[in-house]
Amino acid sequence: MSATEAAAKTGAVSVQNVRKFYQRDSMQIKVLDGLNLEVPPGEFLALMGPSGSGKTTLLNLIAGIDRATSGRVVVAGTDLGPLSEGELAKWRSRNVGFIFQFYNLIPVLNAVENVELPLLLTSLSRRERRERAMTALRIVGLSDRYKHYPRQLSGGQEQRVAIARAVVTDPTVLVADEPTGDLDAQSAEEILDLMQTFNKDFGKTIVMVTHDPRAAVRAHTQRHLEKGVLTN
Amino acid sequence: MKFAPLILKHLRKNWLRTLSTVLAMAVCIFLICTLQTVVDAVNYGLSLGNASRLVTRHYVSLVFNLPNSYKNKIAAIPGVQNTTIVNWFGGMYRGDMKYFFPNMAVEPERFMEIYPEIMVPEDQKQAWFHDGRGCIVGRKLADKWGWKVGDHFQLESFIPPYRVGKPFEFIIDGIYDTDTVKYPGTDLTAMYFNYKYLYEATGERAGIGTITVSIDDPKNAGRISKAIDAAFENSDVQTKTETEQAFRASFIAMAGNLALLLNGIGLAVAFTILLVTANTMSIAVRERQQEIGVLKTLGFPSGLVMALVLIEALLLGLMGGALGLFFAGGAIHALPSVPFIGDVVRQFPGLGLSPKIVSYGLGAALLLGLLAGLVPAVLAYRARITEVLRQV
Repeated sequence: MSATEAAAKTGAVSVQNVRKFYQRDSMQIKVLDGLNLEVPPGEFLALMGPSGSGKTTLLNLIAGIDRATSGRVVVAGTDLGPLSEGELAKWRSRNVGFIFQFYNLIPVLNAVENVELPLLLTSLSRRERRERAMTALRIVGLSDRYKHYPRQLSGGQEQRVAIARAVVTDPTVLVADEPTGDLDAQSAEEILDLMQTFNKDFGKTIVMVTHDPRAAVRAHTQRHLEKGVLTN
Repeated sequence: MKFAPLILKHLRKNWLRTLSTVLAMAVCIFLICTLQTVVDAVNYGLSLGNASRLVTRHYVSLVFNLPNSYKNKIAAIPGVQNTTIVNWFGGMYRGDMKYFFPNMAVEPERFMEIYPEIMVPEDQKQAWFHDGRGCIVGRKLADKWGWKVGDHFQLESFIPPYRVGKPFEFIIDGIYDTDTVKYPGTDLTAMYFNYKYLYEATGERAGIGTITVSIDDPKNAGRISKAIDAAFENSDVQTKTETEQAFRASFIAMAGNLALLLNGIGLAVAFTILLVTANTMSIAVRERQQEIGVLKTLGFPSGLVMALVLIEALLLGLMGGALGLFFAGGAIHALPSVPFIGDVVRQFPGLGLSPKIVSYGLGAALLLGLLAGLVPAVLAYRARITEVLRQV
C-alpha cells in the first residue's frame, strides 16, 4: 500500500490526543494539551491562532521534525511515534515537503541546486535529478532563473524556489509555516495561488500555519488554536 | 560525490577564510615536514659513523684543546690501533663565510689509514704526504670551484689562535672520492690538510682539537673509551672519549637541541593552527545552523550532516597539507644552496622529502582537519531542527 493509499484510508494527517510539553529549567511548559486533528487527503487546512498558541509546534509534529510528549501522530499512513531519528529523517524525505516563512534556501547553491537538494537522498542519477528539479522550477514559473542564486532573487521568487524544493520529491503532505509572512501583498497572492494549484491540480494535502486572514481564506478549512487547544 | 558541490561551494563562498585556513595549515605542515626531514637526515648521518673509531676531546667542550702529549699516551692504551689529530680549522674561502666548507687539519698518513672511506689515487696520496702545504679536497668541493690537482687557494680561519695575520695558502695534491655503497654519507665537500702546517704556522701554539682513535674491535669501544678517559682523570685537562657516532651526536648537539626546539615550535604551531582551524570550522558551522536545520528537515540524516562537515574540514586539511608539502619540497631542495645551513645539511645523505615524510605530513594535515572538524561536526550531528530553526 502506497503512502497516498494509506493516507486515503486513515486520513492524510491524524493527530490523536497529543500533548507536548517543553522543559525550561525547572519549569514545564504546556504547549499542546490533548489535541485531536484529522486532515483528510487533498485537504488545504489553515491553522490560525495567536503567537504561542502552539501552531508551529503542531506543524513540527505533523512534519516529523519534533516528537509529541504523548499521543499519536499518524501522517501519510505512518505512525511517527515509534520511528527512530534515522527512520524519521528517511520518512520526511519521502512524505513531507516543508515551506518556511523565510524560505531557507541554501545561499551557496543556485535555484536548481536548491531544488535538487532533497533528491540527493534518492537513488536518481544526476541527469534525472536535474530534470525533476527543472520540472519543479517550471511549475513554479522560474525555469529561466534556474542558475540564479538566492541573493539574486526577490522574496517571492525565493519562496517559489522553496516551494519547488518542497514538492520535488512528490510528497504526500506539504506543511507551510507562515509562507507569506515575509512577502509583499502581490508576492503573497502569487504564492497562495501556487499552493492552491498544488492542492487542486496535484492533490497535495496542505497544512499551513498563518496569521494572515487573506492567506487563511484560500484554505478549505480554518482551525483556530489557542493555548494548545483547537477552538473550532 | 553527489554532495561534493555543496561542500566545495561552501569552501568557495568564504574563499578568503578558506585560503587563510589552508595557508595556516600549509605553514604548519611545511614546518613539520621540513624539520622532520632535516632531523631524519641528521639521524641517518649519525647512524653512519664508524663503530671502530673513537673520538677523544676536551672534557668540557670542543672549544678547548688537548695537550699535544696526549696523543702518544692514548696510542699506548691496549686496544688502540692508530690515532690521528683532527682539528677543525674553520677556514673561510675568499675571506667570506658564505663560501665556507668544512676544513680540517689532520696527520695525513695516519688519517688515510684510519679513514678508508677517503679514497685518493696513490700518486696523489703520496704527493700529499710529502707536501707540507698540500691538501686533499672532496670531489664535490673540487667540482663546485672548478679545482684540479695542482691548483692553489687560500683560507683564513675565524678561530682566533689560528689567525696569524695572513691567510693560509694550500696546494691541492689530491681529490678524494668514496665508495658510496660501502661508505654512504661520506662528505665529499670537505678539505683536509697537514696538521704540521697549522702547528708551525701558529708558532706551535695550535693544540689538539680532537683525536680520532681506531680500535681493534667495536665491542671494546666502551672499555677503551673508559681507559682513555681514566688515563687523564687526574690531569689538569680531562678528556671525554666516545664513539664516532656519539661524537657526531654531541658535535651537533646544538643542532640537535635546535631541532628539538624547532620541533617544539612546530608542535606549538600545529596546536595553534588546530585551535585556529577548529575555531574557523566552528564559526563556519555556527553560521550554517539554519542550513543544518534545513538539511535535516529535508531528510538528511544527522550522520550525513556530520559527515559533510567533517569532509569539509578534511578537505581543508588535505589542501593545506598538499600546499605545505609543496613548500617543504621546494625548501628542502633549496636548503643545500643556503649559506651555512647548506654546508651542514649537505653532509647528511638522503636529504629529501621521503615518502615517509610525505605520508607523515599528509597524515598530520588530515588529523588536524579531522580534529578541527570534530567538535563542529558533532554539534551539527546533535543540532535539533526545532532549535536551530527557532520555530518554537
